[in-house]
Amino acid sequence: MTDVTEDFTTGVGNSRPDADTRGHVPGDSSMWFFVVGDLIIFGVYFVVYMYFRGQNHELFLHSQARLSLDVGAVNTVMLLSSSLFVALGTVAARAGNSAEALRRFWTALAFGAAFPLLKMFEWIPEISAGLTPGTNLFFMFYYVMTGMHLCHVALGLVIMCFVIRNLKTSQPPKISFVETGATYWHMVDVLWLVLFALLYLMR
Amino acid sequence: MATAPNPEAGQARSWRQNRKLDQWIAFWSVPFFFTLFGLVFVPLSWMMPPRSPSSTTPLIVDFMRSHNLLVACVILTLAFGLAPVSYSCYLIQIRRMSVSPAFRYSMMIGAITGAIVGMLFPMFCFGLGAFRPGYSPAVLTMLYDFGYLAFIGSLGCFCVMWMAFGLAILLDQNNILPKWLGYYTVWQYVTELMAAPVWIAKSGPFAWNGLLTFWFAMTLYVSWQFIVYLCIYRAIKNQPEAELDNARPELQPAALDNGSRMGA
Repeated sequence: MTDVTEDFTTGVGNSRPDADTRGHVPGDSSMWFFVVGDLIIFGVYFVVYMYFRGQNHELFLHSQARLSLDVGAVNTVMLLSSSLFVALGTVAARAGNSAEALRRFWTALAFGAAFPLLKMFEWIPEISAGLTPGTNLFFMFYYVMTGMHLCHVALGLVIMCFVIRNLKTSQPPKISFVETGATYWHMVDVLWLVLFALLYLMR
Repeated sequence: MATAPNPEAGQARSWRQNRKLDQWIAFWSVPFFFTLFGLVFVPLSWMMPPRSPSSTTPLIVDFMRSHNLLVACVILTLAFGLAPVSYSCYLIQIRRMSVSPAFRYSMMIGAITGAIVGMLFPMFCFGLGAFRPGYSPAVLTMLYDFGYLAFIGSLGCFCVMWMAFGLAILLDQNNILPKWLGYYTVWQYVTELMAAPVWIAKSGPFAWNGLLTFWFAMTLYVSWQFIVYLCIYRAIKNQPEAELDNARPELQPAALDNGSRMGA
């Protein structure tokens, strides 16, 4: 999973003509410590989920069918688009084009902010239909894992606001801070892709 | 690093004149506190690892009436005063950071509420069964639930405290503690929120003795706590003496001025 994130961010870096950023870790190296640690934590959750899914296959399949696949799919598109604009914004910031970077980060923020809103459209009908964490083990995993992910999204949106402020106020913008924010946001995106596959799609 | 006291001066002075003595006492109270915790929780009372929330009533009654449990509760209630002492080594270091005092106050209050709910409440619950024999099994079962829920479910109380700690490290410009520790603390406190499902699940990975809510959270917490103490140790060691609260002006060498402050 780490590789995916890394490819995503460095891949953007490599697409630009001059290669002086090649071979360096994008962003603050402390943030990579956080990203790797977080991926390990979610990784443990995924493994435990798979184990218990294997034990109660029928129950999990049956419960899974009650999730709203449409909202999940739209949310996946939202996060992927948001990540794309973050990557494009980072390219613009590296090229010194602050105005363009700012536009792209605002777009990324809008797509990102749609995620928690859509999540509410998913959770509220489910909870009012009586599907709560106490219903069964699947729903407990579902609410805990998507809830933890939602906390990460919320933190990511706050970080993105700081990136936008940095692009607005400092001349030239601090590229390392932009990259740090982008790294975090791509991690949130990768985690969602795995969650979406595990919770909604797997049969 | 012009900050560590030079060895000659250290030898010439008796340990009682060490101006960081207060911090070292607070620091070394921690391993003492945790060792005591471990001994009392595991071999003395078998309170930990937590028993199952779906234990049968006779098993619960047996456990709650054990005399070792009462002894364990008394020891921990007496040792409770060490908690504030051990927290002071964090607070002194946070005070050196270039952040608002709000972080220090939040941490202080968070630590105290967490320790009261997470430590004193369970001790009172678990101690009662052996104190007066004859409580009905229903009452003992309630105390058992109350004790474990307060102990495991209160991890959320510590959340605010560690959030304040993590953010203070990240926002600090004096680099008192390393930045990666700030990020580490952030994911540590987010995982403490995983304790919330203990209020719902009575068996499986999310129960109070579950794989995720107890074993995984505890593994993360213990390894993190250990690393935090190593970092605090280095921070105390590297703190310039001139910067100490109890530094007396006449004892300050002129060299220990702003220069070494920046180097810390």
